[in-house]
Amino acid sequence: MIVFDRVSFSYGIQQVLKGVSFSIPFNERVAILGGSGDGKTTLLKLIVGLLKPDSGRIVVDGEDITDKNEDELREVRTKFSIVFQEGALFDSLNVKENIAFGLREYSKMTEEEIDKKVRGLLGEVGLEHAIELMPEELSGGMLRRVAIMRSLAAFDPKMFLYDEATTGLDPVNADIICKLIVDLTQGGKGFIIVTHKVFDALRLAERFMFLKNGSILFDGNRDQLMQSSIPEIRVFLTELNPPLPASS
Amino acid sequence: MKKETIHIKEWISDLQDFYFLSFQGLLGLVKRPFYSKDVIEQMDYSGAGSFFIILLISLFIGMALSLQLSAELSAMGFKMYIGKIVGVSIIREIGPVMTALVYAGRVGSGVASELGSMVLGHQVDTLRVFGVDPLRKLVTPRIIGSLIMLPALTIIGDTVSILGGYYIAVFVSHQSGSVYWTSIRGVLNFENVVSGSIKPFIFGYLTACISCYMGLSTKGGAIGLRRSTTRAVVASFVMIIVADFILTRVLFYIFGFSL
Ligand SMILES: Nc1ncnc2c1ncn2[C@@H]1O[C@H](COP(=O)(O)OP(=O)(O)OP(=O)(O)O)[C@@H](O)[C@H]1O
Ligand SMILES: [Mg+2]
Repeated sequence: MIVFDRVSFSYGIQQVLKGVSFSIPFNERVAILGGSGDGKTTLLKLIVGLLKPDSGRIVVDGEDITDKNEDELREVRTKFSIVFQEGALFDSLNVKENIAFGLREYSKMTEEEIDKKVRGLLGEVGLEHAIELMPEELSGGMLRRVAIMRSLAAFDPKMFLYDEATTGLDPVNADIICKLIVDLTQGGKGFIIVTHKVFDALRLAERFMFLKNGSILFDGNRDQLMQSSIPEIRVFLTELNPPLPASS
Repeated sequence: MKKETIHIKEWISDLQDFYFLSFQGLLGLVKRPFYSKDVIEQMDYSGAGSFFIILLISLFIGMALSLQLSAELSAMGFKMYIGKIVGVSIIREIGPVMTALVYAGRVGSGVASELGSMVLGHQVDTLRVFGVDPLRKLVTPRIIGSLIMLPALTIIGDTVSILGGYYIAVFVSHQSGSVYWTSIRGVLNFENVVSGSIKPFIFGYLTACISCYMGLSTKGGAIGLRRSTTRAVVASFVMIIVADFILTRVLFYIFGFSL
């Protein structure tokens, strides 16, 4: 369970979150919707302790992580698999070394075992042929798949965190990523995806939150979202039934 | 809180962060885990990569200096002092400072832009998620790289400058080569060599810390990257020159040079 209790956060003078509270069980599938610059990435970073709130508490799995230092947070972070915007692959390492990164840090596997594990993971997403490629040689969709596999190679996460996993992808690749996200929830694992793409959010999630100006404007299920009268949400929902082209 | 107060607070905490990085980065030398592969890579990039540019610049500085001195000194009939003046100025001052400036221009901007784009691309966050301390993985190897490579480059640069000076003194200004070498040997005394070789360590450390700090504190997209790269180079230059003055003063005091 992730609990935010009146969490506020600002970068210098710019306040990004204003007393946000919510709780999300590890097995829930949540989409946090919000526009660009509304603090979606910031929120994810707070969950894994990459940022510290100015005020309020953050509790993960019953442990208050607000005042934990970097060493204590190591343990907390292994509970999650987090995939950043654009994948965030290390561009000095090839695909294999990217996926092996966590394994080398956390396990005592031999070179052969690592190779086998990496090939296995890449096989699951149909990318065995890309094992020697550098990140700059991958397409956007391949990059996300590699990033997702890297994030779960070393740990057995309780929950997945995705930052804009499908943003900037064509519908076909977005579809592949959405299927992968659903596949990975097998065994009752949940995820939080932050995104501004309502279409993908509706395919994936069962609970929706809407972040705007540093507050959660909406928190509810699919039906409540579709019937919401909040103007910002209505604008987001037009993505689903685009207006007809204006005619003269 | 008032805007000004927040800005002052930020400024102080930035300074704290810089000291923390400089200190922890150095401490990484003796702490585990130690990323030796990254150290080698950094030494290759910063040292081997800067080798030819340092050779070229040192050669021409040595020749230009020797040429200037020949013109001035021969008018006064003191041509035999060329070797001594070239030697002292290269070893104690021009060699270390010029090499450090060239190094800072090349390596400082490289490091700041590399680390900056790692920050913007969330790669540094990813390191932390994997439990890797960015100071240990990114900063320490760069500090070590500079601490080893800048002194080495400075020695090479000094040698080449002195050779350039020799060429001008002997083949252009028609001096005796043996007088030149005798004066150079006279210049290579303990005080001069020590003051010339302490400087590059300090300059290397400053350059590495400043450029890592600027890179890691990057925010705000492409413009932010431009800002931190520029700041890394400018701050390194200023700090090298200020530190050079302070060091010279302190070393003069220690060795008891009378002014
Ligand atoms: N390191 C930083 N320093 C200062 N301001 C920042 C920093 N990171 C983000 N911001 C600002 O904070 C706000 C929220 O940033 P955040 O990255 O969380 O937004 P986001 O919802 O993920 O946006 P996007 O859709 O662009 O990814 C933005 O206005 C951004 O400009
Ligand atoms: Mg974001």
